[in-house]
Amino acid sequence: MKYLKDWKVHALCFVMVIVSELIGKHSFNFGPVGFTLFPMLYALIIGIILAQFKLIDREMMTTASPYITISVMYLTAKMASSIGPNLEAVLNAGPALILQEFGNLGTIFLALPIAVCVFKMGRAAVGASFSTSREGSIAIVGNLYGLDSPEGQGVMGAYITGTLLGTIFNGLMASMLDKTGLFHPYALGMAAGTGSASMMSAALAPVVAAHPEMAGQIEAYAATSQVLTSVDGMYMSLFVAIPVTNWLYRVLKHEKKPAKAAK
Amino acid sequence: MEKTSMMETWITRGKVLLFSGVFAAIANYISSSKTGAPVTPLEAVPGLAMMLFCVVVGCILDDTLRKFKINLPSILYISAISMLLSIPGFSPIAEYFCAELNKMNLMSLCTPILAYAGISIGKDLDEFKKQGLGIMCTAIAAFIGTYVGSALIAQVVLMMTGVI
Repeated sequence: MKYLKDWKVHALCFVMVIVSELIGKHSFNFGPVGFTLFPMLYALIIGIILAQFKLIDREMMTTASPYITISVMYLTAKMASSIGPNLEAVLNAGPALILQEFGNLGTIFLALPIAVCVFKMGRAAVGASFSTSREGSIAIVGNLYGLDSPEGQGVMGAYITGTLLGTIFNGLMASMLDKTGLFHPYALGMAAGTGSASMMSAALAPVVAAHPEMAGQIEAYAATSQVLTSVDGMYMSLFVAIPVTNWLYRVLKHEKKPAKAAK
Repeated sequence: MEKTSMMETWITRGKVLLFSGVFAAIANYISSSKTGAPVTPLEAVPGLAMMLFCVVVGCILDDTLRKFKINLPSILYISAISMLLSIPGFSPIAEYFCAELNKMNLMSLCTPILAYAGISIGKDLDEFKKQGLGIMCTAIAAFIGTYVGSALIAQVVLMMTGVI
């Protein structure tokens, strides 16, 4: 049966899943900041280690590649199911909360030029810079380009970075921005909701600590912004962030025509 | 060409969806057991089946529309179906749909995906390593851009609407 000749790929995947889940999620805390490692990260690392020791042959690698795009579809269905129950929150949110969602696009104009002009990166720059690279972004890039494409490498590398440094960095950044006095604590509260629960908490904590009298309101703004991002995140990425990133990429690379249309 | 290649596509899709679904259910069982509230793979079946429904209908829509030269990413259709099913008041099964899907942890669904990615990453490892530092700095710049961008807009709109 030619349809079963890839059994080794699935068997290996199964073993990797079991081992990763048995290791389980681990949280590391250093005072108020820290990070949590999830099994999905171990699965990726096991693959990298096995490849280093040449324990996965080239054929298996190429066979597994389209399987990522297929299995990632579950993630899409799962994430979109959180939209319905939260729609009411969107309808009740004020103009500031809704408009600040577009601020999430700020990453493109900061991160992409750094990636392309400073680090001379190729298409991986697009994957790493259109968002903060959380699970939803993995689903989108996996669907559009495949996770083993340059864009996929970008989003996965950024995912790993975010997992390890995200909360630490967000905590520091929020604290520093608050100290400048340029922003009202409400604005910083809204900005904290970028799609990742742990990063939101990290960005929220220093602001709340500095303004305890406004704590309730700041937290409510952050939580609503977080819900809004879970509702609009996927569509914002697909219809705005990725097209804008691709456009800016072409501008920065002085390319005339679209390099490669999305699937 | 059409017929055979379409069949091949669906056999591969079916096979991988079945395997990754089962793997995710087992992953979910192991991770939920650690929290003290185990969700057995059997209990996860309705949720997985409904996700599978969204995926399959989304793929059929995508395949069909492509024949009419409408080439949009399949993620759009899949997410639209799942989203519509989850809206209370609009979808009669919204409550059941969300409750069953919530038995599957998001992270457990990611584990098989990244395992497949881990298997295939070897062929691009050198490239990946070469870009490591760049990707890392880009990711950090992405945090700053997202956060400051949102804070700026929120600040301006809050001032304009007289909230602050």
